[in-house]
Amino acid sequence: MTTTRRSLLAGAAFATSFALSPAFAQAPTEIELFFPVPVDGQLARDMAALIKEFNTAHPAIKATPVYTGSYDETLIKTRAAMKAGKPPAAVIMSANFLLDLKIEGEIQSMDALIKADGKSNDQFMGQFFDALHGNAVLDRQVYGVPFHNSTPLLYVNTDHLKEAGLDPDKLPANWEELVTTAKKLTKREGDRVTRWGMMMPSNYDYGGWILQALTHSNGGQWFNVDYGGEVYYDTPSMLGALTFWSDLVSRHKVHPAGVQAGGAVSSAFLSGQASMMLLSTGSLTHIRNNAKFPYKVAFVPKNVKNEVPIGGASLVIPAGVEGERRKAAWTLINWMTAPEKSGWWSRATGYFAPNKAAYDLPEMKEFLAKNPDAGIAVSQLAFAKPWFATYKTVPVRKAIEDELAAVLSAKKTPKEALVAAQKQADEIMRPYVEQTALKLPTN
Amino acid sequence: MAQAVFTANEAREWSAPRWRPRRSTVLAFAMLAPSLLFLALFTYWPVVQVLWQSFHGQIRVGGPQAYVGFDNFLKLFADPAFRKALANNLVYALGTVIPSLVLALGFAMALARSSRVNALFRALFFLPVLIPLVAAASIFLFLFLPNVGLLDYHLAKLAISGPNWLGDPDIALWSIMALTIWKNAGYYMLFFLAGLQAVPADAYEAAILDGAGPWQRLRYVTLPYLKPTIGFVLVIGLLNVVTQVDHVFVLTKGGPSDSTNLLLFYVYQQAVENYDAGRAAAGTLVMLALLLVVTASSLRTLERSFGEKDA
Repeated sequence: MTTTRRSLLAGAAFATSFALSPAFAQAPTEIELFFPVPVDGQLARDMAALIKEFNTAHPAIKATPVYTGSYDETLIKTRAAMKAGKPPAAVIMSANFLLDLKIEGEIQSMDALIKADGKSNDQFMGQFFDALHGNAVLDRQVYGVPFHNSTPLLYVNTDHLKEAGLDPDKLPANWEELVTTAKKLTKREGDRVTRWGMMMPSNYDYGGWILQALTHSNGGQWFNVDYGGEVYYDTPSMLGALTFWSDLVSRHKVHPAGVQAGGAVSSAFLSGQASMMLLSTGSLTHIRNNAKFPYKVAFVPKNVKNEVPIGGASLVIPAGVEGERRKAAWTLINWMTAPEKSGWWSRATGYFAPNKAAYDLPEMKEFLAKNPDAGIAVSQLAFAKPWFATYKTVPVRKAIEDELAAVLSAKKTPKEALVAAQKQADEIMRPYVEQTALKLPTN
Repeated sequence: MAQAVFTANEAREWSAPRWRPRRSTVLAFAMLAPSLLFLALFTYWPVVQVLWQSFHGQIRVGGPQAYVGFDNFLKLFADPAFRKALANNLVYALGTVIPSLVLALGFAMALARSSRVNALFRALFFLPVLIPLVAAASIFLFLFLPNVGLLDYHLAKLAISGPNWLGDPDIALWSIMALTIWKNAGYYMLFFLAGLQAVPADAYEAAILDGAGPWQRLRYVTLPYLKPTIGFVLVIGLLNVVTQVDHVFVLTKGGPSDSTNLLLFYVYQQAVENYDAGRAAAGTLVMLALLLVVTASSLRTLERSFGEKDA
């Protein structure tokens, strides 16, 4: 008897749900978004909240966020999904992987979608900071939409400055000042260093980026922005940058020897065992929430000019995503990179918002007034250049990072290291060069 | 008697058409089918794919996979990073398997007698085995952290500054080996504990009566009886050395300057970072070949030692 009644009730409920749900008439387009979280666990929940909001606002689309680990893992999982014939509709991809993905034909140009919206590529990209265009627009076609970005930044423990009798408002602006300050901040007990004046991460991925920042600050280029088959490792500007880093370790003895991981650098800074460090703006929120002392941030000190590379990630649409799914992905991408959401994500993470208009919103102005350090990160963007990307970016970068590690461990001189890195990088890029720049008419 | 012979002959005649599958065989295969299907799908098919891939590669950048012959293998052996990984793996194998084996045997002999205290110690030594390698590596990340890590923290109290455990190319591999030994010794101890139960007590009594000291007892009684166990643990240990790189992934990613790069991690790098599926497949095959040789030779030694004991 009860069962009958229960099933009747259930049947009624089922029927009403049919009647009430407008989606039943037309099933929503289901899309997946692959996203990495390079910072911490809370962000995965933030992303879920963001997508839920999107789905409520767009009943015709059902987007599912899929957490895919680090930047590298996201690349692997995207490739695996594509090989299985089920590419995700959109992916948040490390900005320096875009060139490789384009060369391999694994992501698609968004030009047609932009045109359908009645915009030109320049109009569309115009909403983002200029420094971000280089890693998103390839061969004059838009392949990525900047989602969150960063630059390296100098972090200084101002308590340590005061303790050493230095002016806490005057942070080192050039290499000369950096060395003198770091020497005063380094503390020793006999031969043992109890506090390092300066620390910079040199693990894979981070090391190349920091060395690129030093190279740009020294007037260098690192790579050919317009052609994926050239890097400028064995050049004076790079020799100066690498020698400077090596001098901090072995000549001035203000920086620990060997490879330092990014996490080790920020822990040393937070525990007061390092007074200054170069780290991503993406760590700003983490440092702000965990530092038990006053700190300040400044531009990366220069030798020749103020210039740094960007970092961060862009939204891409993998090849093979067509029709309704492509349109839905485009709607999602535009929604996520609009000023309001861009600004919200920026405040949650510490990355800056790529969309310039985000900084005109009242909540963003209020946030910057409260956290002037976030403002410095944004103003450095005026001096930013594209992130290093070539054919086979990761191995080409590893070629110099392995040599960097050897130099920081006093196994090689900077010059030897750069010659070796250049040779290896050229070797890796050779197939591409032979099929592009060196492919000449034979008759 | 004649009757019996006759029926036997008749039976043989009746079962003559051997090609016809017996009902029991059909049943056996039917019951095995699900496992066989999955084994084929998830083990044998990938093996075929790896074989195929190892002879294919991209000729045109961004182009499809094409047949390249032994090119992948030639490039593999020409790559200094591969040779470095091979050499590292050798050092890593010798430097982890032998110390873990010695430690495990020591633990097992010290804790062979069952008592409450020993049970507690056995549990303590076994604890690292229960922790997944990734988690263990994450713990060691904190131990090895320069300046603030547990190791450096305690060394600083003695006014010693520790080396850069994971960031110095001369030391990083040894740090990783220390973690591996810590992780595996307890596991191997378990096998030795079982092996020691099989050593007859009268063998020891006889040795003591003959005036054998502790070293002589170890050398002439314990070790010979433990030979099969040692052989078995050796195989397991060598397999671990090649198939487990989670800690390399978490701690160093093969760096600094490839000083902690091991074969499996090298294969991962080729497939994922270098987009070179062909070279990755070739590397996998070389690794598998090495494993097969090691396992086959160890197992043969194992069988021989079993034979010896029987004789």
